[in-house]
Amino acid sequence: MAPSSDAVLDALGDRTRRTVLERLRDGPLPVVAIAKDLPVSRPAVSQHLKVLKDAGLVVDRQEGTRRIYAIDPSGLALLRAYVEAFWQGVLMTYARAAEAAMPLDVEQ
Amino acid sequence: MAQQPAPGGLLEPVRQSVRVRRPIDAAFELFTRDIGSWWPVGTHHARGEVVGVVFEGRLGGRIYERCRDGETADWGEVLAWDPPRRVVFSWVLSVRQGAPTEVEVRFTAEDATTTRVEVEHRGWERLGGLATETRASYLNGWPLVMRLFLEAAGTA
Repeated sequence: MAPSSDAVLDALGDRTRRTVLERLRDGPLPVVAIAKDLPVSRPAVSQHLKVLKDAGLVVDRQEGTRRIYAIDPSGLALLRAYVEAFWQGVLMTYARAAEAAMPLDVEQ
Repeated sequence: MAQQPAPGGLLEPVRQSVRVRRPIDAAFELFTRDIGSWWPVGTHHARGEVVGVVFEGRLGGRIYERCRDGETADWGEVLAWDPPRRVVFSWVLSVRQGAPTEVEVRFTAEDATTTRVEVEHRGWERLGGLATETRASYLNGWPLVMRLFLEAAGTA
């Protein structure tokens, strides 16, 4: 399934997942380093990483026996899409209230 | 590697526009002081259970929601008040817990009864603050992650 902004926002709804992302700030890390000192089990961290990956927020690659995770910069595009949808929804509602809407194309 | 959007492009303002059949004065009034009559509070809110939205139409005026429990939650503050053509306000509703972003709404009369309304949401580069857990919302992590992505995109 392609990542969606909903998946991004849902993925961000969890504090542990945000901590995981923060740990990847300085560069890619293996799961063991990501999980270090976190108050959740390794399998739980792996599950969180899977949610983040499914949401398009991280990418992973295999290096020998280790799986390395990194932040996926393209996730920002999804978040921009979220903001665009936010204002699109607002303006459509506004236009309906103003009666007789004639929405224009989205400007890029 | 998958093609990445240019980091600069990701920082560009988000723009949306709409054309309404209302004179410019009425279009401006509806968007600002009458915001509570139409804003989609069911999906676009800070705390939820919203019973009203207040837009104080003056420089320095607050924009906030009033909730069923009597609490209020700030959305932003008016930074420029130039009716009926332009209003600028700080904005924390969809991007809370970083530095506030900024929204400019411009109104242009296309004729006596038609107005073009353009929203520009900008200031993404300001989102530098680390998120702290003060409100229970699924949007809390957004500024933090925005910053993380910007840093990652900048070094990609």
